[in-house]
Amino acid sequence: MSDAQTSLSFRSNAVQAIGNAQLRAAMRHATDTFGAKRADAFAPVADVEAMRDRASAIREEVLNNLPRYVDQFVASATRAGATVHRAKDAAVAREIIRKLLADRGARRIVKGKSMVSEEVDLNAHLEASGMEVVETDLGEYIIQLERETPSHIIVPAIHKNRQQVGKLFSERLGVPYSDDPQVLTRIARQVLREKFLSADAGISGANFAAADTGSLVLFTNEGNGRMVTTVPPLHVAILSIEKMIPSLADFPDFIRLLPRSATGQTMTSYVSVITGPRKPGDATGAKELHIVLLDNGRTEILGGESRDILKCIRCGACMNVCPVYRTVGGHAYGWTYPGPMGLILTTLLTGMAKSHPVVDASTLCGACVDVCPVRVPLVDIILQLRHRKVREGFSDPKEKAGMALFGKAAASPALFALGQRLAGWFWPVVRVLGGKDVAGRMPAPAKTPFHRKAP
Amino acid sequence: MSGPDLAARFLENAAAAAAGAHSVSGTGDLLAALGRIVPTGSPVYCPGLTELEKAAAPLFPNRVADCAAAEVTVEEVFGAIAETGTLVCVSEGGRAVQAGLLPAHHVAIVRRDRIFATLDGLLAVVAAVPPTNVTLVTGPSRTADIELTLAIGVHGPERLDVIVVQPGVTFPYARP
Amino acid sequence: MRAQLFGTCLVDSFFPEVGEATVKLLRRFGVTVTFPKGQTCCGQPAYNAGYQAEARSAAGHFLSVFRGEDPIVTPSGSCAAMVKHHYPALFRDDPKMRAAAENAAGRVFELSQFLVQVLRAHEKGFPGKGKVTYHSSCHLTRSLGVREEPLLLLRSLRGAEFVPLPDGIRCCGFGGMFMAKLPEISCALAEERADSVVATGADTVTGCDAGCLMNISDAMKKRGSPVRVAHLASLLAEGI
Repeated sequence: MSDAQTSLSFRSNAVQAIGNAQLRAAMRHATDTFGAKRADAFAPVADVEAMRDRASAIREEVLNNLPRYVDQFVASATRAGATVHRAKDAAVAREIIRKLLADRGARRIVKGKSMVSEEVDLNAHLEASGMEVVETDLGEYIIQLERETPSHIIVPAIHKNRQQVGKLFSERLGVPYSDDPQVLTRIARQVLREKFLSADAGISGANFAAADTGSLVLFTNEGNGRMVTTVPPLHVAILSIEKMIPSLADFPDFIRLLPRSATGQTMTSYVSVITGPRKPGDATGAKELHIVLLDNGRTEILGGESRDILKCIRCGACMNVCPVYRTVGGHAYGWTYPGPMGLILTTLLTGMAKSHPVVDASTLCGACVDVCPVRVPLVDIILQLRHRKVREGFSDPKEKAGMALFGKAAASPALFALGQRLAGWFWPVVRVLGGKDVAGRMPAPAKTPFHRKAP
Repeated sequence: MSGPDLAARFLENAAAAAAGAHSVSGTGDLLAALGRIVPTGSPVYCPGLTELEKAAAPLFPNRVADCAAAEVTVEEVFGAIAETGTLVCVSEGGRAVQAGLLPAHHVAIVRRDRIFATLDGLLAVVAAVPPTNVTLVTGPSRTADIELTLAIGVHGPERLDVIVVQPGVTFPYARP
Repeated sequence: MRAQLFGTCLVDSFFPEVGEATVKLLRRFGVTVTFPKGQTCCGQPAYNAGYQAEARSAAGHFLSVFRGEDPIVTPSGSCAAMVKHHYPALFRDDPKMRAAAENAAGRVFELSQFLVQVLRAHEKGFPGKGKVTYHSSCHLTRSLGVREEPLLLLRSLRGAEFVPLPDGIRCCGFGGMFMAKLPEISCALAEERADSVVATGADTVTGCDAGCLMNISDAMKKRGSPVRVAHLASLLAEGI
């Protein structure tokens, strides 16, 4: 279930999050754990920087030739027996999927985790036409029961503690209360196994797509991704166009980087390479495979200055080390994607008018740049977005006026010194105007500025 | 890397991913290992397609034809990857890859000479014309979705055992 | 040798003692310190908030004040990073200014960087006392790559015990304009940093950036902590 975008109220979302002690504790635990796990996973790897360079170069090569790789993928996937649909935007994607499901009389749909399906708000659209859509990734299942949206791109229910999940299961599933994760997992296994085996269709995302063979590549741990893509007779995969990798032979570096970056695992339990539907002689595979390639603004981003965000491989490492994300959690950002990559994608995909406060949701500390496996220049892109925010007129008018004054004072020593003197004389007034939030946290200006005492 | 080294590295990494790791040489050894690993009387799915599967099948009095009805799958897999302790399951030759997914317990047999040193080695072989499904399996299914606490056994198998069969011994079919 | 001192706007306005300590330190190691008159601000607050025109105005003035070939030394990692990494790009469309920017970028040093790399000050050491911990600022470490130099200087404080912060390099929440635009998050981060400082049992926390120290100091004050917050320049200069 998706709520309307709330990025415009980022600051008040953040304030609310900061006041939520359980959320703070959950986020601290999660980001501390992920940070340590990622570091431990990479420590024994001999040539991490070379690996990142190679992966970055492959992603850049793909972006430099994206239309060609997408065309190649369409041709090869079609040759392998899949039906490929190109969806210009969210509405088109939703309707393509709804129609192909409805045409086949599909009522029960099982779903693997797909951030892109959240981006286009797919579930609500299918449910509105009477279909039952069951999220099968445990974290997604939890938030579906809770009627919430994911707060992290890898671990959607990271903001919940075990007691909350226990209470949710006992209330919604009628099982005896337990807050033991192993017990709760077993309950989910039982409930969802029945859904897998009776589903008319499975919907999945894909972590990557190999252009030369038309293959979809999925990294999963639970087994639900494998179920969803092979058990029901119909498999629908939705992915955004920038997920292309030229060839399966390019995958080793990504297989080494993605699990370690995301969860600190050496390998996810499963890496599935799916090439077309079931063929004569096969005993595995959906009878029909439909692949929906989503644009939804990416071609436009590709032509712009911030195009390097499209290199992102959705590992979540950036949000795991982000001081802002750690403090406020994912929902504060107001849309599908949180943290550093999230605030960038939110702004570029939904537009500055709906997103501009999240552009400020960064201290520019650079922790994200340190960990991005494909070297997306996240801080540089955030600075670009801030510049655009100013150019396009979304700045706070008081701030704009203040900055104009700053620009003049910084270029005029006399004006600068005057400003210092006035601030010093009227500090109590400045404190009131600047609020206890800002000026109240600064010391009073020095009686004699340094430049009057300098050599 | 030598064959024995590859096998050792594979088994070490598989164990690190919470798989039971076993090494055998010869049919007798294999059957003994299976006797220890698979609970007696469990409904077992064993395809019986390869030499080793044909040798193992008679061990299980309660064989089922549909892997969805099985508690244990005993099968030989396409290969393995030493670098990551990973099994390679492919759909080629009419193999049901979901046999290693649906039952709670997956027992995977792999010949030592089918162990690739690295991911690159394996992908080079399947990259050109991949079968419909290639699944790399590392350990049993798992999740950390609740408080980042590891829980083993979600929708896929709760238990994975891998058995490396050392070469140099013939495997006559077991008596029917 | 000669060096041009860039005090920074924060030091100039709020922490002149840091400027004085910097002069004292540099002179101690034989540097003739000049203070180019008319210096104001590197422009970072505007640049980081997306106001490139205003940043260019500040930067242009900086470049007109800091001419020549002498090293430019500043007690601020973020200001040094601004000059080094962003000045050339700010003037990408103006060849003359770009050349001036590249000239400045090529000779700017953060103070601890200069003390260690050029003056080898850590080999001489400094008198010190008490138990000191160190907050490593984000731009200093990640942008400028200055990680070891402050530690070498701190370890050369004879008589002082150095204890590292338990959770490594973490943002204190200052972030320049961030502390003004999202003060609640800024305070929450400063609180966590303060928790970390208190956990070390140190009586002093030091660092190389006045902005960070100001934010941490606010958090320490709020909890009535007696821990002293002092710029590395002040700490080193005290004993000499």
